[in-house]
Amino acid sequence: MSGEEEENAAELKIGDEFLKAKCLMNCEVAIILHHKYEQLQQTSDDPMNQVSQVFEKSLQYVKRFSRYKNPDAVRQVREYPSSLWKILSRYQLAEFELCVLGNLCPETVEEAIAMVPSIKTRGRAHDDEAIEKMLNDLSLIKKFE
Amino acid sequence: MFLKVKLPWNVVVPAENLDAKGPMLQRSIVVRLLDDFARRKATKDLGYFLAVTTLENIGEGRVRENTGEVLFPVVFSGITFKIFRGEVLDGTVHKVLKHGVFLKCGPVENIYLTCSKMPDYRYVQAENPVFLSEKNPKIEKDVVVRVIVIGTKWLEAEREFQALVSLEGDFLGPVSCENPLD
Repeated sequence: MSGEEEENAAELKIGDEFLKAKCLMNCEVAIILHHKYEQLQQTSDDPMNQVSQVFEKSLQYVKRFSRYKNPDAVRQVREYPSSLWKILSRYQLAEFELCVLGNLCPETVEEAIAMVPSIKTRGRAHDDEAIEKMLNDLSLIKKFE
Repeated sequence: MFLKVKLPWNVVVPAENLDAKGPMLQRSIVVRLLDDFARRKATKDLGYFLAVTTLENIGEGRVRENTGEVLFPVVFSGITFKIFRGEVLDGTVHKVLKHGVFLKCGPVENIYLTCSKMPDYRYVQAENPVFLSEKNPKIEKDVVVRVIVIGTKWLEAEREFQALVSLEGDFLGPVSCENPLD
């Protein structure tokens, strides 16, 4: 098992370097990888041959697990992540927490706490009402797509 | 979780790829960096390397005495993928065995969900084997399952991660394949 026995994302113990590292939501990764892939398409007849397996598998994954299936839609929602990041500062979420919420899209307060237990425990006194409001804000953004 | 990282790296450019014209040199460095990056595949600390996004800085090149290659210290930003213990994520079943199923999630394919961590599920042997439950949707190949990571392991020789996951927890289990938001 992992050498760092302390690591536990549920309690937001994921190592300082990762708390500081910028996390990316699946939809953001989809935008970036799509862009890379389009660049390759312009210079190569067989772009899939040009990319690593890691790239290919990740692209498949984010295509499936973010809501934007085609490049046009992705372009249209470029602003979407930035408004999500505003929520991050409003609710003092760690990037890791916001990205899990953004990827999994929980619908209820209970579900949100099950997905990201640290939003309840990290001493930030998020009561249920605040979490509800946060989920509302997140779903409002979704409606603008 | 996908991460945006900023990394220092040493790029070695063979002498024959050196060109006094600036843009060509930069191109050689980028090509070399992308090569190295793809070959490295993953590291224990940062996870899987997906893509280089920007080359932030190219330092002074230093000639290597024996080979004539030039080593450039560079700093670049890129995207990596790492699985954390305690993280909840969605994976796709790609193999069903008697004692559990294997999921894939992004670049990681060895994510094991053992039957002892699938409460209420039982294995049913068939042409397409499946795990059935009285209360929950079945788990079979290509089903998307929401799981919590209970352990990760780095395999140095293969440069791969393995993870153990569980369904024990609220709101975990198969999720509808149809995306409700489409």
